[in-house]
Amino acid sequence: MKQLFASLSFRLALTYAGLFVGSLLLLVGAYYTMVVRVPLRQAEQVVQREAAQLANIYIVDGEAALVTRLRARDAAVDRYKAFHAFVDRKGRVVTANLPSWPRAVFQGWGRIEADTSVDGDEHDFEALALDRRFDDGARLIIGRDVDNISEREQALASGASVVAVVALLLALLGGLLMSRAIGRRVDRVAATARDVMAGDMSKRVSIDGSGDEFDRLAETLNAMLQRIEHSMEAVRRVSDSVAHEMRTPLARLRASLEDAAAGQGDVADALAEADRLTTIFDAVLRIARLDTGSREIALGEVDLTALLDDVADFYRPAAEERGILLTSFIQSGLFLRCDRDLVFQAAANLLDNAIKYSPNGGEVVLYGQEETAALLIAVQDTGPGVPDSDLPHIAERFYRAHKGAAPGVGLGLSLVETVARLHHSALAFRNIDGGFRVDWRFPA
Amino acid sequence: MHILLIEDDPRVADHVAKGMREAGHIVTIARDGREGLLRAAADPFDVIVLDRMLPHVDGLRILQTIRATGDVTPVLILSALGDVDERIKGLRAGGDDYLPKPFALSELVARVEGLGRRGPAIAEVTELKSGDLVIDLLGRSVTRGGQRIDVTQREFRILEYLVRSAGRVVTRSMLLEHVWDYNFDPQTNIIDQHVSRLRQKLDRGFDVPVIETVRGTGYVVRPAT
Repeated sequence: MKQLFASLSFRLALTYAGLFVGSLLLLVGAYYTMVVRVPLRQAEQVVQREAAQLANIYIVDGEAALVTRLRARDAAVDRYKAFHAFVDRKGRVVTANLPSWPRAVFQGWGRIEADTSVDGDEHDFEALALDRRFDDGARLIIGRDVDNISEREQALASGASVVAVVALLLALLGGLLMSRAIGRRVDRVAATARDVMAGDMSKRVSIDGSGDEFDRLAETLNAMLQRIEHSMEAVRRVSDSVAHEMRTPLARLRASLEDAAAGQGDVADALAEADRLTTIFDAVLRIARLDTGSREIALGEVDLTALLDDVADFYRPAAEERGILLTSFIQSGLFLRCDRDLVFQAAANLLDNAIKYSPNGGEVVLYGQEETAALLIAVQDTGPGVPDSDLPHIAERFYRAHKGAAPGVGLGLSLVETVARLHHSALAFRNIDGGFRVDWRFPA
Repeated sequence: MHILLIEDDPRVADHVAKGMREAGHIVTIARDGREGLLRAAADPFDVIVLDRMLPHVDGLRILQTIRATGDVTPVLILSALGDVDERIKGLRAGGDDYLPKPFALSELVARVEGLGRRGPAIAEVTELKSGDLVIDLLGRSVTRGGQRIDVTQREFRILEYLVRSAGRVVTRSMLLEHVWDYNFDPQTNIIDQHVSRLRQKLDRGFDVPVIETVRGTGYVVRPAT
């Protein structure tokens, strides 16, 4: 029972039924006033007026005038049939068209049964009557027929109770159906949540396409599940690739240490391998933390011109050492809302790649310019490029275009791709005539 | 220098202590946070090296407790959490330097020495000297043996940092942190190339190099006298 009351559906059904019956009662009340109370009040006023007039006639003009008047009233055809009874001071009934009346004088309003037979036909009448005893002991009862009003009153009373019971049942049924429908959809959400908790990350809350609140809730929940699944997938991919990619340097580290232990190799090799492992580890973790959103990006208004100048400045010695001509075409006054450190790191990675893969004596160009609907950072080199079939994969973790051709672990572009995604910007790679080009566009 | 090392891993602690002693320093080891706090309160140290991952407690709590007592001994935080965010957290908690694990012992020694000899900053210094090299901080110019040497702005900052740290080893990552105003991680050793370019400019026509390489660690500039 307690559980039943705790259920939102049940409480909803009850509230619904209560409101329904309440408004029905209000309606019946209004109808009762209109068809019963108001006509009754009118009849009362008529009877009261007549009674006062007739009493005056008796007092002023005497018994004969009253009797004449009463008979005329009886004969007149009126909306409400007139009734009367006059008993003189000696207790004789002088004139009456009421079949019977209470022996004792009654105070205030009375209802008197006045069924009459006319030409053998039984007519139902009910008189609304006022009784008056004069000072000389005579008694006058004046009434009007209100049988049709009484009938309506009774019909309404019995009808209303039937309607109330039926309405209550209907309301309860409707409320129950309505809340059951809501409850079922809530249960569907709960069932999906249980499936997800049990480990089936691919489960989604069903959407019935009505676009109602539940659909919107389901869409939000599904988006949340999508995000969680994506994060978990990212973590899984990282741990897979780390496990895979760490084995090679670890094996080399072990081999170097074995050589050193045997008194042959150089410990410096082992140290270099250890450093390399640390580098991979740091890079993987950094990308993973950005990917899963555990490191929030710190957006600020950044002087992109200065930032790109700094990146070019940072790589200039490295380029010159290999005879590579590093030029930059950076417009002045470029500003961008971004995470300064991340964009610097990403641009550095792009330039690092370009220099790494360009042949000695090659050429690398860094662009920074404003386009109609975007800010463009571009890096172009004279390297060998990437096989077209590999283009979609070059930002994947541990992808390396020309294994062994240049040092690196294959994580630089992964980071660039992650940073670009976090900034809702677009990254495009393409082979060009005699080189390779990366276009990174930040929508304005 | 007298160094307090708060580190729970005995192998790391012994390794670090040995390296520090070889560099001529006295090392006191505390095996947990409580002992570290007691030692720090009992004796004056030149530098405290604090491991962030201590049993049952975050090293940053220890650091905050030390700072709360008004102790301003320079603190270097060692941590397995190497991310930029963690580094900033460490420095905000009152740390003076932050070194992620794993680290090269020479890097740690260089940084600890850097912290220990960091005297009170003298704002009035307008000129730095090393041998026959003079750096004019106001005119932002460099002369060697009276001869003016043209350097870029970045090279000027590298040289200024090296000369300010004269007599102490400066590692590549220390240079990166102090000269480049970005928190980032160059995947290749670009710093060496910047130094080598600077070096070419400084040593042209001279027999003695201004900047010496410390193999496997970084660079050092001879002190003025």
